[in-house]
Amino acid sequence: MKSIQRSLSLGLASALLLVGLLLVQSSLWLFEAGLRRNLATDLREETEGLLIAVVQGSEGFKLDSSRLNPRYQRAFSGHYFRIELPERSWRSRSLWDAEPAWPTRNGLASDLVDGPQEQRLLAYRAEYRRDGQRIVISVARDYTPILKSFAQVRLGGLGLIGVALLAFLLLQRYAVKLAMRPLERARQQIAQLQQGQRQQLDIQAPIELQPLVDQINRLLAHTDDTLKRSRHALGNLGHALKTPLAVLGSVTQREELTAHPELQKDLCEQLAQIQQRVSRELGRARLAGEVLPGAYFNCQEELAPLFETLKMIHRRDLNLHWKTHPDCRLPWDREDMLELLGNLLDNACKFARSEVLLSIDQTPDGYLIQVEDDGPGIPADRREAVMERGTRLDERAEGHGLGLGIVRDILTAWNGRLSLEQSDLGGLRACIHLPTQQRGRS
Amino acid sequence: MRLLLVEDNVPLADELIASLTRQSYATDWLADGRDADYQGSSEPYDLIVLDLGLPGKPGLEVLRAWRARGLATPVLILTARDSWAERIEGLKAGADDYLTKPFHPEELLLRIQALLRRAHGVANQPLLQVGGLALDEARQRCNKDGEDIDLTAGEFRLLRYFMLHAGQLLSKTQLAEHLYDGETERDSNVIEVHVNRLRGKLGRELIETRRGQGYRFGGTP
Repeated sequence: MKSIQRSLSLGLASALLLVGLLLVQSSLWLFEAGLRRNLATDLREETEGLLIAVVQGSEGFKLDSSRLNPRYQRAFSGHYFRIELPERSWRSRSLWDAEPAWPTRNGLASDLVDGPQEQRLLAYRAEYRRDGQRIVISVARDYTPILKSFAQVRLGGLGLIGVALLAFLLLQRYAVKLAMRPLERARQQIAQLQQGQRQQLDIQAPIELQPLVDQINRLLAHTDDTLKRSRHALGNLGHALKTPLAVLGSVTQREELTAHPELQKDLCEQLAQIQQRVSRELGRARLAGEVLPGAYFNCQEELAPLFETLKMIHRRDLNLHWKTHPDCRLPWDREDMLELLGNLLDNACKFARSEVLLSIDQTPDGYLIQVEDDGPGIPADRREAVMERGTRLDERAEGHGLGLGIVRDILTAWNGRLSLEQSDLGGLRACIHLPTQQRGRS
Repeated sequence: MRLLLVEDNVPLADELIASLTRQSYATDWLADGRDADYQGSSEPYDLIVLDLGLPGKPGLEVLRAWRARGLATPVLILTARDSWAERIEGLKAGADDYLTKPFHPEELLLRIQALLRRAHGVANQPLLQVGGLALDEARQRCNKDGEDIDLTAGEFRLLRYFMLHAGQLLSKTQLAEHLYDGETERDSNVIEVHVNRLRGKLGRELIETRRGQGYRFGGTP
């Protein structure tokens, strides 16, 4: 999964690192260049001082050590020189027995020279002429302390970059989180939509997101509207088809036809087939299935009227009751769910002696709906056959027996599963397993 | 028993009226929802058979309007809309029963019979049994002390009304209103004639006459 947060962090971190490193390195380089220019001036003045120390004696030139800076006398002091005349040369006492590779060209040596005791020397060479004689003076000073401090500065710089990087990343994370908050809300609301806990997205989205939210809402409204319209149209179609069927059914009972039992029987059979087929197909077409996010079934609101209806249809002294957790909302279309429960309960009521129980429980991966009765039940070895009959019946457009056809259609649309068991009440228990996980993922 | 049939499909209405008349129900027929809205609560019907897909005004709205005005007449909804959601909707609107099209004509008659008995607090048995009499509504025949007695349509109609209103004082006007549809000439003499014939067939003491008030069926007050 791609995360906006992560890719933003990655981009920011690499940009910051690059810029930081470049900045530290180039500022160090510029600083060093300036420093070297300064040091070069110092070293040139140093050579001039040494030139003054070279005095004309009785036997030619000699070095007046009293004019020498004492640091040239202290061993490995970090300040060294070498004076070359055509016939002789002097080197500073501080060099002791070391012999650095003095530069061969005038001016500041471009590279550092290895000195005694691991010192790195910055060397300068100058040529002078005095009394017709060429005097080459090379001076060098220990550069190691500066190198060390540079290394320290670089380390400090890197540390600073690190700290800055961390601070920036945290800030950016916060900013992104702030900017993403509407997205996160939208994500949560879409999840709620899938669970049937809401029917619309109602976030105050920023302008970048508003078209998306509007479009989703429009689509939701459109789907809902389409479903309602098609259900209405199906209702009308059913009305248009079934009223003539009712007329025909009534006509078959006329006395003229009672005189021809064969004809009457044929007519009745064919009419019954048409009727069942029409009911079945219209019922199937009415199903919302999985298309509708935001659909839900509120148990408290819907079950009471459903049970009233069942009591009214089955005018018997039946004890109908249901068991759900409070505030039970099933994430499926209301009409589909009523159809499923209505058919199962209707069956149970037909066979029950005195009691029918509906229970709805949440399971880790969905819901378990159980409809039980205390009727005669179905022996275990015949349950399979009954289930199959339910499927085969509707293929033959008969579907009278257990009314399982429409239940099966609904379960197919919902990836649900039906099983028949022995009920504790003594009769049949129909168990419906409805998974919620597949929704949205498939 | 006087019924109102609200159905906009003429062939179906014809069939239903024919089969209801065979069962000696006085049936008025309306095809428009607005007419039904008015007439259903202005005439004293014993039961209303209501189709839902009506021109003028949807059946459910008509039913809601009746119930809002306090009309307590039992209403049987007759509809092609057979989903559970729609059934619940119908019963919520105040229907007493719900029959989906297409239906077996017998089924409708049985439902009407059961609904009428229930509305009058009579147990739903195969035969209507009151005051030592058993009325077979399907065959329009009466049984007294193990002896079958044939009845004419008019007698059957009157006896059924009496049996469903056992112990109640019924005026001639009330009887006329409930035994004949809106188009029949109402003649209170006809009722007197039928009452006398019933007395002749079933015994004088069965129907008591209260002068100036009306009739009372059954010994128990």
